Amino acid sequence: MIKVENLSKDYLLKKKEPGLSGALKGLIKTEYKTIHAVDNLFFELGEGEIVGFIGPNGAGKSTTIKMMSGILTPTSGSVYIGGEDITKHRKEVVKNIGVVFGQRSQLNWDLRLGESFELLKHIYRIDRADYDNTLDVMDSILGIKELVDKPVRQMSLGQRVKGDLVAAMLHSPKVLFLDEPTIGLDVSSKFALRTFIKEINKIKKTTIILTTHDLGDIQELCERLIIINHGVMMEDGNLSQIIDRIAPYKTLVVEYYDEEAPEHERCELVEHTDNIAKYKFMKKETTAAEIIADLSKQKNIKDVSIEEAGIDDIIKIAYGS
Amino acid sequence: MKKAFSELSHYMDVTWHVIKMAMMTIIEYPSNIAGWLISNPLQFIMGFAIIKFVVESFGEINGWNYGQLAFLYGISVISHALSMIFFVQGWFMGYYVIYGDFDRYLTRPLGVLYQFFFTNINVFGVTDLIPGILVFIYGCAKCEIKITLLFCIQVIVMLIGATLIRGGLYIFLGSTSFYTRSVVDFGQYTQEIMDKTTMYPISMYPESMQFILTYLIPIGWVSFYPVSSLLGISSGICDGLIVPFVTLLIGLVMMLISGAFFTRGLKKYESAGN
Repeated sequence: MIKVENLSKDYLLKKKEPGLSGALKGLIKTEYKTIHAVDNLFFELGEGEIVGFIGPNGAGKSTTIKMMSGILTPTSGSVYIGGEDITKHRKEVVKNIGVVFGQRSQLNWDLRLGESFELLKHIYRIDRADYDNTLDVMDSILGIKELVDKPVRQMSLGQRVKGDLVAAMLHSPKVLFLDEPTIGLDVSSKFALRTFIKEINKIKKTTIILTTHDLGDIQELCERLIIINHGVMMEDGNLSQIIDRIAPYKTLVVEYYDEEAPEHERCELVEHTDNIAKYKFMKKETTAAEIIADLSKQKNIKDVSIEEAGIDDIIKIAYGS
Repeated sequence: MKKAFSELSHYMDVTWHVIKMAMMTIIEYPSNIAGWLISNPLQFIMGFAIIKFVVESFGEINGWNYGQLAFLYGISVISHALSMIFFVQGWFMGYYVIYGDFDRYLTRPLGVLYQFFFTNINVFGVTDLIPGILVFIYGCAKCEIKITLLFCIQVIVMLIGATLIRGGLYIFLGSTSFYTRSVVDFGQYTQEIMDKTTMYPISMYPESMQFILTYLIPIGWVSFYPVSSLLGISSGICDGLIVPFVTLLIGLVMMLISGAFFTRGLKKYESAGN
């Protein structure tokens, strides 16, 4: 569905020197520094995939998504959507995409929500039957019809995001781009939004690309993750694969009756305070059950628990590198 | 051919819908209507009163009598109003560039400039149109102009050309924001210059200034040259029936140049971080 080849975006940044003399110098002779915001990305996305772009602020996620949706012109490379290059045939290709960008709304602030939908109906030349049909589907997932007559300026953020999602889906695009869609939403709005994403993915086979900082979004939605940092792709795969690769260990926490903690040959005693000892072991080499069995032969164990490397550890490790 | 026609009817359909939405927005805030209906005509009627005062005190301005000046003033205000209806958004292009508001237009399957101007169409500009038409009719009467078909065509052609020249200028100035990456808020200044160069005969300015207004920034063609030809006043540059059509031609060329400048700038568009 989407093929990204050799995609790069450079920015020229003016070098600024400190102080007034520096500012004056900058006026006469400007030196530029090239920033590689996105550096040579390659990847392919299939129909109906839900892909999460993650990475710290300023990593190049938004720049990538904006190049993929036709907003920014890449310095080099191509983005094929349904076989056509969006950088060359913008007007044609954007018929197949829908876009929701976080805090930015495409709805008309002054009028009832329905008017914004009607305008899109004309812009995308959606015929009445398809339009009504899509609205029915959206209504069954999001309950959008009760909002249609409400002026957008009177909506809560959660309602407005719902409106924006429906607006982006009205023309039934094959690809939906979501840039931080859950930012600032409360728990129930987040839940509604995630349900919506899963449902339209199921019903319409829409390919969905989202950027997020929300671990819940990643866990709930993304079958595939692309981790970007400094404009470079760090990881590409599904969540458990990435966890296995970056953090192939677990931590066993054992509570004893006294302060003495025995060692074990197949794991490492990483922390020991009072009665509690933490053992780190490689998932491939052994199991928690084995270690517990061995340890319990040497000392009486009061309690055990197992800590797995979670998505936040993954992100910490991936961002740190 | 068929494709071009379908494309055109698509744009017309969207335009009509956008105009309906603009009117709905106006109705949504009725108190604004009253404010505009009072302040806009007042502004132009006062401007006209000043001309009347000056002419009555000095007899004429640079050989132009009172009726001729009214004619010129009327044409200037009408083309100003038309450019305000369609192109006023150009004044704020810099803000759209810096705050990333072109994103929305770029992800839709229509021309970016078209969406920028027409989804923000300023139906209120009509309130500027009324005083302009009144003064223009008054000027026609004073100059005892015979209304023929040719005259009507010339006036319409000239107004289209004048509106395109103004619009082209706004697009050009606005597009500089893509290159400078700063907001160029030129609306006020341009308005001042436009008022002073289209409401009065530019022959009253120094020759160097006239040269600039004729060849470099073709504001002279917005009203001075075509009106001179319609009133049979020799401008010394270009006379005859053809002048209104020259205005149209210059308008089209201005649009092409500034459109290309915009398109080139759009490639440098950086959006804005969220």
